[in-house]
Formats: sequence, C-alpha cells, structure tokens
Amino acid sequence: MEAFYKIPFHVLEVPNLKLRKPGWVKPPSAMVVFAFVLISYFLVTGGIIYDVIVEPPSVGSTTDEFGHSKPVAFMPYRVNGQYIMEGLASSFLFSVGGLGFIILDKSNAVGMSKLNRFLLLSLGFVCVLVSFFTCRVFMRMKLP
Amino acid sequence: MEVVERKDASATKDRKVDSTEAKTQTVGWQSLLTFTILSLAWLVGFASRLFAVIRFESIIHEFDPCYKANNNEISPAHLGLQLRKINASRKVGFNYRSTHHLVSHGFYKFLNWFDERAWYPLGRIVGGTVYPGLMMTSACLHWILNALHITVHIRDVCVFLAPTFSGCEQIWTLQAEETVLNSGALNKAFFILGSGLTAIATYLLTKELWNDRAGLFAACFIAIVPGYISRSVAGSYDNEGIAIFALQFTYFLWVKSVKTGSVFWAACASLSYFYMVSAWGGYVFIINLIPLHVFFLLLMGRFSFKIFVSYTTFFILGLLMSMQVPFVGFQPIRTSEHMAAAGTFALLQAYAFLVYLRSKVSWSDFKHIFVFAVVSVAGLVFIAVVFLTYAGYVAPWSGRFYSLYDTGYAKIHIPIIASVSEHQPTTWVSFFFDLHVLICTFPAGLWMVVKQLNDERVFVVLYATTAVYFAGVMVRLMLTLTPVVCILAAIAFSVTLDNYLVDDRPSEGKDAVAEQASVESVAEENHKKKKKDLYDKPGKKKPVTNRQNSKQEEMEKEEDGGLLGANLKGMVVLCLMMMLMMFAVHCTWVTSNAYSSPSVVLASTNYDGSRNILDDFREAYFWLRQNTDDNARIMSWWDYGYQIAGMANRTTLVDNNTWNNSHIALVGKAMSSNESSAYKIMKMLDVDYVLVIFGGVIGYSGDDINKFLWMVRIAEGEHPQEIKESDYFTPQGEFRVDAAGSPVLLNCLMYKMCYYRFGEMQLDFRSPSGFDRTRNVEIGNKNFKLEHLEEAFTSEHWLVRIYRVKDYANRVKSSLPLRSTNSKSKTKYIPRRNSRKGYIREKLNVIQGKRVIKRGKKKSKIKKTM
Repeated sequence: MEAFYKIPFHVLEVPNLKLRKPGWVKPPSAMVVFAFVLISYFLVTGGIIYDVIVEPPSVGSTTDEFGHSKPVAFMPYRVNGQYIMEGLASSFLFSVGGLGFIILDKSNAVGMSKLNRFLLLSLGFVCVLVSFFTCRVFMRMKLP
Repeated sequence: MEVVERKDASATKDRKVDSTEAKTQTVGWQSLLTFTILSLAWLVGFASRLFAVIRFESIIHEFDPCYKANNNEISPAHLGLQLRKINASRKVGFNYRSTHHLVSHGFYKFLNWFDERAWYPLGRIVGGTVYPGLMMTSACLHWILNALHITVHIRDVCVFLAPTFSGCEQIWTLQAEETVLNSGALNKAFFILGSGLTAIATYLLTKELWNDRAGLFAACFIAIVPGYISRSVAGSYDNEGIAIFALQFTYFLWVKSVKTGSVFWAACASLSYFYMVSAWGGYVFIINLIPLHVFFLLLMGRFSFKIFVSYTTFFILGLLMSMQVPFVGFQPIRTSEHMAAAGTFALLQAYAFLVYLRSKVSWSDFKHIFVFAVVSVAGLVFIAVVFLTYAGYVAPWSGRFYSLYDTGYAKIHIPIIASVSEHQPTTWVSFFFDLHVLICTFPAGLWMVVKQLNDERVFVVLYATTAVYFAGVMVRLMLTLTPVVCILAAIAFSVTLDNYLVDDRPSEGKDAVAEQASVESVAEENHKKKKKDLYDKPGKKKPVTNRQNSKQEEMEKEEDGGLLGANLKGMVVLCLMMMLMMFAVHCTWVTSNAYSSPSVVLASTNYDGSRNILDDFREAYFWLRQNTDDNARIMSWWDYGYQIAGMANRTTLVDNNTWNNSHIALVGKAMSSNESSAYKIMKMLDVDYVLVIFGGVIGYSGDDINKFLWMVRIAEGEHPQEIKESDYFTPQGEFRVDAAGSPVLLNCLMYKMCYYRFGEMQLDFRSPSGFDRTRNVEIGNKNFKLEHLEEAFTSEHWLVRIYRVKDYANRVKSSLPLRSTNSKSKTKYIPRRNSRKGYIREKLNVIQGKRVIKRGKKKSKIKKTM
C-alpha cells in the first residue's frame, strides 16, 4: 500500500507547505447557536418577513373627531395585518416568556442561597406571566 | 380542561411512580396511564374537530364573524384566515370526485383518467397530476371494509378516513355531499375510529427525542392545537390531514434509525416517506431536512456508521419509491429541490470512504489530508450540481419553492401564487393565535434541547429553525411548524414540571424511569457541585460513584434548596396549570369560532344572538345542477372551479389546480375587459354560463370584486397590451367602485355582472339605492343594460349570480335601400352571324376625318344632355 502511494512522489517533490487552520475558525458553542436561533426566532415571529414584503408603516395613525392625528400602535381588527412596532413588541414578549421558562429551570440548580433561588424563581415567574397575559391582551385588541 | 385533567393524571403518575416499590407494578401502571392519556388525547382531538358537524346537524354553521366585519379597505390580502380556510375546503369536492372515480373504475383506470370536464377546452390528466395518497388511503379502507362485508359507501369512507389520522376531518364533506346529492344516511358506527394517529406519531417522536412524559405532553398539545386543527377540522377532505401524520411518522422513523443504525428502521422511514410523497407536495421538506441533518452531523464531526447506514438506505429506497408516484415521476433526479439530498449522499459516501481509508492507512498526518479531501469533495459536488443545472439537465428551482428563499419573488413574478392568501407572509398574531402559550415556551424547549445535544436533537433543532423560517414566509406553512412547536413546548413543560412537581425526598426506591430523566440533569448538577466543592474545600476530591453522589446531593438539596418549600412549588405548578387551562380554552374557542366554518354555508350572528344562515352557494350550485344542460360550460374565477365541478357537476374552465397560467389569464382577461371584447373571448372558449360571487348585499368580503385586482394582474401578465392594471385605479391610485372610480373598471364585465340591476335595490332607508355594504360606497355605474349576457339566476342574498351567455344575435336588417340586381345589359346584342369576322367588343371605331368616340361615353353623354 505504502509503495503504491509513493509512486507519484518519486517524480514530484512534496512542497514544504504548512497549512494551519486559522485560530478563529472553531465550531460555535451550543449556547452561541442557541442565541442565534433565538434572535432569528424573535425576528421571524415578529413578522419581519411580512414587514419586508408588505412594507407597513412602523406605527399607524388615525384622525380623531377634532381632526388631530393620533398615533395608533396596533392595527385593530386585522388578524393578517400589522405595524412593524407591534410585531416587534409582541415577539419580544414571546422571547421573554421563553427566557422566563429558562430562568425557572435555572432557579432549580443546586448550590444557591435561598434568597437567590427565590429571586430567580420570582423573576422567571414574572417574565412568564407578564408575557403571557400581555400577549393575550394584545390579541384581544386585534380580534374584533 | 382536558389538558389539566391529563396533567393531573401525569402528576398522579409521578407520585405513583414514587410510591410503588415493585418494578413490574410500576411498569404496569405506567403503560396503563400512557394508554389512557393517549386515548384521551385522541378522544379530545377528535371531539374538538366535530364542531362543524354538530352545528351542521342542527343546520347551523358558524361563519367567523370576527374576520368578516370591518373590511373597509380593499386589499386582496385582507381576507387572511378566512380565505385560507376557504381555499382549503374547496379542494374537498375534487378529492371526493377522484376518490369516487378510483373506487368505481379501479386503480389503473384512475391513473389514466382524463377529465374532460375540467379546464374545458384542454381537459386534465388527473392520474398524472394528483397526489394519490389520500384517495388511495380511503379506497383501501373502503376495500377492507367491504371485504369484511361491512358494506359502506365510499362517501362514508371518505368521511371516516380522516378520523383515523388527525381528526374526523372529512365528516363535513360527507354531509355537504349528502345534502347536495341527496343520498343515503350516515353510518355513525365508524366515528369510533377516532383521530389521533398524528398525536401518537408525535408521542413516539418526542419519546425518542426526550422522554415519555414529554411525549405525552406533545401528544396532548398536537391533539388540540389550533394551528393543526385549522387544516384538519371536520369537513376538509384534504391532503394535509394525512400528510402531517406521514411527516411526523417519517421523522420518528428517521430518528429511530439514526439512533439504532439499523437498515430495518431506515427502510421503514423510506416507506413512510413514500406514503408522504404520495400524499402531499410538502414532502420536499422531508427530503431537504434529512440531508441537512446528515450534513450538519458531518460538520459537527458526529459521523458514525449508524448515520451512514441509515441515510444510505433511506436515500436510495426513498428515491426509488418516490419515483413511482406518477405525479412526481423523474423529478427526484431532475429538479433542484432534490439535489441537496443527492449531493449529501455523494458527500457521505466520500466521507465514509475516507474514514475507511484512514482505518487502513497508517499515516499519522492523514488527518490534514482528510479535512482537505472532504472539503474538496463537497466543493466538487456543489460545482457538479451547479453545472448540471446550468447545462439544463437539472431543472432550476420552481417558482413556488424559489419564493420561499427570495420572499419578494412571487410578488413580482408569479401573481397566481401571491394571490392566494394562504401564501401571504405571517404576522405575529397568526403565530399567537395558532399556537398560544406554546409559542412562549418554544424557546425554552429549544434551550433544553441545545443544552444536552446529541444526534437526534440536532435534528429537532434544525427542524425548529427551518420550520420557523418557513412559517414566517407563508401562513400556510404554519402547519409544518406546529408539530415541532408542540414537541419543544412539551419538553419545556415536562422539564419544568419535573423540577417543581416531584417531591424532593431522597428516594432510594426511585424507579428507573424517573432516574433516567433526571440522570442528565443530575450529571450536570454533579459537575457544578464538584466545582463548588473545589471552591469550598480545595483538594478534597474523593472518587464517588454516581449513585452516592446523587444521593448526597439530594440530601444537600433538602438542606438548602428544599426549603424553597412545597408551597412555593405548589404555586408554580398551579400557575402553569392555569396557563395550560387557558390554552385549552383558547384552543376550543378558536376551533369553534374561527376554524369550524364550512365555507359553503355562511352564518352571521345578529345582535340578539340568533343566527342567520346563508346557504346561497349550495342554492346556486343546485340550480346549476338542475336547470342547465349536462354539458354546459361554466366560467368562473378559479377559486370556485372544484366546487362547481363537485357540487354542480358541470364543466369548468379553470379550477383550483392552477397548472395552466395562460388559461387562467384568459379567463381573467375576459372578466376584466369590456362586455363586447369579453364576449369574443367567451365565445372562443365556448362558455355557456358565467358565475360570479358578489358580497355587496350581505357584506361578504371574500367576493370577486375584492379579488378582482388579482384577475387583472394575472391577465396583465399574459396580455400586457390589452389589460393594464393602472387603468383600473383612479388617478390617485385608489381602487374604488363608486362614481369616482376609473371608467375602465366601471365598464368591465366583472363590474357589470356584479352590479347588474343593483342600482335598483335599496337595502335600507338610511343608505341610497345601490349601496355596496362590503365596500361601504354607493356604486358609480347604476343603470346599464347587458348586451351579450342575460341574468339567469341570482341567489337569495345575491351572493352568487349566474349569467347566461347569449347566442350570436341574428343579423340585423340593413337600413340601406336594396341593391338592384335586375339591370339589363346595356350593350346591344349582336348575333354572331351578322357580325364581321374578328369583332372586338370595345374596339374604337376609327373613321378618317372624324373624332374617335368611345361607345359607352357617347351614350352617357347623350343621357346627360337629355
């Protein structure tokens, strides 16, 4: 086998080449990947693709009975339309809800003082509940 | 409610698990509970899909009032959910028709079926242009039942096929067909077949990925989540219903085969893939996701011969089998969509070969060459694919798939894809509306999976990422996102409840299952704790076994963490339960209000809560069935093609299978040009009747005027000289039908057909006559006569209007005086014998000394002088 491989090297001279992998190329850690996925999740659930294609304004406006124009954050009564800001706000809430669950899981880790544990637990819990109920309120606004 | 109930069940299960000592007994309890929970999930999933049927039997159908109202602006996209549903259930008629054909004429006749009643002058080769999985499944069930001497009509099987899969989706179809066709009664016995195969497939997949508790959660979620119910509710005899089952099952088998590395499971996966290919065009998702998984595993250096065996088996068998479906044919080796799979296959072979070489060659720095070789092989494969595409051996991405990557593509180039509202990009409400609390727990589930990665979990991460992206691009693809969201949310919930529900007592008698789940987390905690040990007492490291360590740790947990108190934990659990309960309530509400409305029957709720039923569609189809010639050709926009074919049993010009863009454009051109030029097109296409949907009387926003701009756009794509979209807007760029609207719009065929005699109608006293309720304007062109069409039928609420195309009119009598034809010849007859030889008729008579006079002129001169 070795002899076979040697045949071309009787003719050719092996160049003295040192290829080294550049230092910055290394597989990203799991949490970096997760962060990327979470960011893209944040953007997609906020309807970024809708924003790119349909190009809605960032915040809508309406005219009240005195003729003043007022900003409107939510496009009301439309399930398949949105303004940019409302999409980002609610996808932020989705992500916060997810983080709340992660914090809940973290608070169960071993080796933590009682106070820390309690604080983490309540923080995670507030995150989950606030995001969930705010999302519900937002959805109520959109549904007629 | 059910979720909570089941949660309680799982809670009790955990307690049971703790308390029982005998292992066999535990296993027994566990399997009993699993069985009970799964069957309950099945039952609930089945029951919540029944809204439409139950309401229909009391002859009431909810038409979601939430989305119907307040559609003042006329944008084609605004139909949203509504139209998405409508499109879904409009396929029903066709699916049923072809199933019926399959059963009554046999498989080979079905494959060769040429349907001359669709796409009128062209016809359609149905066998070669349809995914036959759905029809085959119901035909098989029918055959089995008949072999058992349970004689049921194929219609009943169509209805009860879906129960076996995701819910009893087809029941409504049956009902509608039944009312229309006016035949036999339902056989209720088969209701028991029930839904939930999808739920079970999801359970199996999640069990492979995490553990069985998460699996049970996932099964419960998928049984009731609105994102899936929207496509599988009773009444949509549709491909997606069985396709999601096939998708989940294929993924389960694939994960299983990656885990075991056995040829058997891989072959099963490819069989299931074959079923998926025959059922739904979405199989492309599988054939791209699995290679992606393999590719990422290679990238992460997780290559093993298990992966090699399973992917090689899966790819080859799957390729061969998918080519057996007539509609797919040679696409797997000829189109770009499938090239990723082939490329990964080649790459995997090369990688495996190099790994083999490495084992043979005693070369220390083979490693470097190895990396180099792998990279070059990958590059080579890529270049080969690009070259083949460039040379024309491989078809480039088709528009439908291309629009997934270049999201603006469809909007610019393929209006027919962009016009379907289920192809619109998704807004945040759709995500929350369809997935509710699961959308919040999804990232947490993903985190838990990423934290403890292994080969299978790489798969679920990839699945989640791609599915989220695709769901963002198209509302319709929310369907593929739903299962993975269910899986991940189930993992998140299950882990959280594991943490907070289980008692913290040090339990030696803890059984294997609970142990297994906690082992990983325990391992991590061990790790942390070791660190802590180091911090506290450096150097004091004693080799402890895992068992001891965990025990010790639990003791410690009791010391500091356990004091967190049962109360606090109880509260966490209680709140989670409450959220899940709200989820269940939301699911039921959505299912009942938004997704359980058969599109053919509309209902609106009055202020006092009573319901109005608008049955105009079926009224009109029944009229067509009864009062027109059997061979009459009906022209309508393509949305209604399958319905007309299925319910009215008449020939249509275009239908929901939008395979021929130019034909649709021709119909669009006829609709958007003025009456006389439309008449030419209609006569050319041999049209007898024209059907339009008009919602102006009742305020139905999904009518043809609101879709009209798409007709113009599609027509403009093919006939840019005749039709111009800008002609249909006012100079300010608005689309309006009142007096300020553009004259081209106010005189086009669609406008005239919708508003013919509408100007005479006054709907209520506050509004002027001819007031359009959908667009809230008084129409601009009220008094006009139709020249080439005559009104044939208008349904009760004017929702459907049918016009007959008049025959060519008789020739009109000319007002000019008659042409005289009996004039006598003015030349004198000269008998041959008297004349001189060689007489020339007009010869000039030349006499010397006299002027030459032409004979004719002489006479006329004389006349004039007279």
